[in-house]
Amino acid sequence: MTYMNALKPLCFAALTATAVTLCSAAFAAPAEDGLYAESFAAMKGKKVVYMPNALGYDLTEGWLAGLKNEAARLGFEVIVRDPNWNIDAGVQAMQAVVREKPDLLVVQPPDVTSYSRLIQKAQEAGVPVIEVNQMTTAVPDVFVGADWYAIGVANGEAVVKACGQGSGKSGKVAIVQGLITAPASITQVRGINDVFAKHPEIKVVSNQAADWTPSKSNSITTTVLQQNPDLCAIIEAWDGQAVGSATAIHDAGKQGQVFLATSGGGEKTACDNVANGSFTHYVSFDLWDQDRDINNLVKLFLQGKFSPGKQKLALYTPNHEITKENLSARSCWTMDEVKKSGG
Amino acid sequence: MSIGENLIRLRYRLIPDQIIGELLSKSWIDTCIPASLLAVTVVVFAAIAPDFLSLDNLSDTGRQLGELGFIAIGLTVVLMAGGIDLSVGSIYGLCNFATLEAFQGLGLPLWLTFLISLGLGGLVGTINGLLIGYLRLRAFLTTLVTLIIVRAIVQTAALTFGEAMTGVAPDRSAWDFVGDGTIAGIPFSLVALAILAVAGHLFLTRSRLGWHVQAVGGSRRSALNAGIPVRRTVFLSYVISGLCCAVAGFLYAARLTNAGPEVGNGTEIMALTAAVLGGISLGGGRGSVSKVLLGTTVVLLITNSLVAMGLRSGGTSFILGLVLLLAVVIDVRWTKNRQKILARVYISPTYFSLPPCPSTAKDSGSVFAANDALTSAEPIGLNAVDGAEDVIFDSQGHLYTGSRQGDVIRFLAPDYAKSEIFAHIGGHPLGMAIDAQDTINVCVSGMGLYAVDQKREVRKLSDQTNRSLFSIRDDSRIRFADDVDIAPDGRMYFSEATVRFDIYEWASDGLELRGNGRIIAYDPRTDTSRTVLSNLIFPNGICVSHDGRSLLFAETWACRISRYWLEGPQAGKVEIITENLPGYPDNINRASDGNYWIALLGMRTPVLDYSLKMPGFRKRMAQRVAFDEWIYPNLNTGMIVKISDSGEVIQSLWDSTGEKHPMITSMREHAGNLYIGGIFNNRIGRLPLPNADPAWTGPRSYWGGR
Repeated sequence: MTYMNALKPLCFAALTATAVTLCSAAFAAPAEDGLYAESFAAMKGKKVVYMPNALGYDLTEGWLAGLKNEAARLGFEVIVRDPNWNIDAGVQAMQAVVREKPDLLVVQPPDVTSYSRLIQKAQEAGVPVIEVNQMTTAVPDVFVGADWYAIGVANGEAVVKACGQGSGKSGKVAIVQGLITAPASITQVRGINDVFAKHPEIKVVSNQAADWTPSKSNSITTTVLQQNPDLCAIIEAWDGQAVGSATAIHDAGKQGQVFLATSGGGEKTACDNVANGSFTHYVSFDLWDQDRDINNLVKLFLQGKFSPGKQKLALYTPNHEITKENLSARSCWTMDEVKKSGG
Repeated sequence: MSIGENLIRLRYRLIPDQIIGELLSKSWIDTCIPASLLAVTVVVFAAIAPDFLSLDNLSDTGRQLGELGFIAIGLTVVLMAGGIDLSVGSIYGLCNFATLEAFQGLGLPLWLTFLISLGLGGLVGTINGLLIGYLRLRAFLTTLVTLIIVRAIVQTAALTFGEAMTGVAPDRSAWDFVGDGTIAGIPFSLVALAILAVAGHLFLTRSRLGWHVQAVGGSRRSALNAGIPVRRTVFLSYVISGLCCAVAGFLYAARLTNAGPEVGNGTEIMALTAAVLGGISLGGGRGSVSKVLLGTTVVLLITNSLVAMGLRSGGTSFILGLVLLLAVVIDVRWTKNRQKILARVYISPTYFSLPPCPSTAKDSGSVFAANDALTSAEPIGLNAVDGAEDVIFDSQGHLYTGSRQGDVIRFLAPDYAKSEIFAHIGGHPLGMAIDAQDTINVCVSGMGLYAVDQKREVRKLSDQTNRSLFSIRDDSRIRFADDVDIAPDGRMYFSEATVRFDIYEWASDGLELRGNGRIIAYDPRTDTSRTVLSNLIFPNGICVSHDGRSLLFAETWACRISRYWLEGPQAGKVEIITENLPGYPDNINRASDGNYWIALLGMRTPVLDYSLKMPGFRKRMAQRVAFDEWIYPNLNTGMIVKISDSGEVIQSLWDSTGEKHPMITSMREHAGNLYIGGIFNNRIGRLPLPNADPAWTGPRSYWGGR
């Protein structure tokens, strides 16, 4: 008897909730314009697997936040697979995707080759693939991400300006790459090299890989600075690892003397680093933009009847060059903002 | 008998306590841990991980198992040789990189690529092996250094050549087959692993080098003393490990074409976890291919399932770390305590009860009344015999006995003043029987039934019998043959006192009082042995009756003599003929007057008798009290009794002073004298028997006058 009493309010709450839902549906009806109901229905309950190379940093958390916001609004499900930088784990997760056949795969591949075979298999299994920020040799349905070549060129040119002819500087430049097999790193370096090729006064004194880790970047730069006290500039492949170089420059007492160019998603910390002089030149492929791009594609794919593997499309994000001079409150975003209204 | 006592008896009859100890003493019990772990893993993840048991998932896992399995088996060889190889992960990475560079970068053919990979892996293994095996550096530090150096080489190479590897090489089909193909639905790498597993198992268990590896890991010094080339063995173990990693790297390269310098990071931890989880001892010497494969499967299932479950960053490594910790704890505790646990649970006493002991007081008037008849025995071989368990005479009247050194000693007739080593067998000769050709058939402790003919040639007759159907222990091997006699048809019946203990553990069997012994018949015509009676309580002396139709045997701890009918209407049946002896009967032999002599090796004591009804007490004693301080039979006094054919006790002969013949294990009548042996005595006694037939001898009694 007592527990029937306890159940009563629950029943009541359930009934109310159902009523409210029904009402809202009823209210939605007048908005019907020939697409509204159909598109919502098409997206509802669909499964999107989101697989970054690791969670836990601005880009991957930002993309996830954007996806989740739209997922909550439109009713599709975001399933997260986190290989945590481990390519083997990533491959296993990819295999799981091929088996589970979600409606869409949003993946940030760690390198050019590892996922290639499985991306193809996923497409063959009927799963459209959106690759974010890095491309595999297997071409996805859509690529969304930074224009790494343009970033390399932008940073290269900024460095040439600072260290090249007429600057009175040594012209010595160090490049700190990311993961050697990662397209983000490979393509960027290609852009940098293409610029430097036209400027023989620029001497690349060090070209090493920090594998996306600030501690490696820090130790590389510390050594490079000791070997080349007159180093003019450093180009870092990613802001996440560039803080290692920035600290090394700071510790060597050379802040302001060594030009540090890097790039990233434009999170608040990056702008702070520009403001405090740690980063001299920063190229932002704005994550806020990317979130919108990703979500637009997700929505298209969830509604459309695309045959996976047939379309070869790309949305390269525009770059914003940020320096102390043009820095504004709107140059960067914070994770809280993205979580609140990103995507 | 009280109800409580009945309950105890019932409990010990119904619950076979000894099984636990016997299970624990099996060598496959080690494999049980990883096997049950695998079962638990499968059950847990099948319940919580999506698609765990799907064919695709298992096939994916199988492909990875192919790679990790190679590394783990290689590492196992090193571990079993007593070393450790931390460089497996970086060798794997190096070979992966080299494969990609050779195949994708340089466009070499696949077979050459494979050889290059093998060569590199073998090279690093060789360097490890040279440093550790021949220069005797510490394995841990050396391979740690190789790990770092090789990793650095891969990183440098990746920086220089990395980009070139994205190129497309010719001959893709073979490449794709290695990385993605299946043979009869089984992933290629898994097939390769299966081949390696079989080869590895044969290598470790059947090959000379494999045995050397285990011997070196088990005890380096003993291996050296045994003449095993320790350094070469250690060296080769690292080379093998390097080669295995090379194959794994090659397979990985074909599967993922991932030229990253981070390939193989942490693989050594995974392989080590797999090995330890499988029960490959970090101390060396213990392990097998099947175990490491079980361990590898568990590790892979865990990591794959955790990834499939979408565990957040770090969670997978964290759980794998916990598993490794658990595995190491189990390994250490198990290795350390297995023998201890075994020792604790192995001895499992059971309920037994003896009627009140008949009086042996001098003035009791009992047939067992103590006397000093044996004190007049003259010594033979005083202070020269050592371990004369039994004595026997051939047709020429020479006396034979055994020695602790593993010899059959002969004392020459007529005065037995001179002795010689008649033959060397190697194990301690116990009970003997002589046949018509004067061949001495002798039970040898730890070896079985042997024959020594008059040309002094030693021949093995039997060292195994049929295995009993439901035994957990393999009881086909004969460990403790005790006494033998020959039936008229030439068949030899011999007793094996216990199948659960060795001779030096006889007291443990006495504490158990479980029917652990048996009587085995050896048929010389077919050269085969069969167990004819089992579950006997320490069967000891055995004697074919005067008429040759039955067999008398003594069950030592049960203090009784039984008859086993060889022929006649009761053939195959056993009847107890003498019960409740005041001591523990040992050998039985014929007497000239148609009766039988029985040696009692020691006397019963009230405390020990009482404890027979308290199996729990005896178990606690076995567990908590040192072997030397257990309650023992009174071994300071023995005696000889004579029983009639129907089992009636007729006479007893004592040395109540315990000076000349304290513990008596055998006696043999020969030409009017009784010759007395004791396994711990320093002499053989000769006691004239006033009323005995001086013409009677054993061979004549058995085989007729000659």
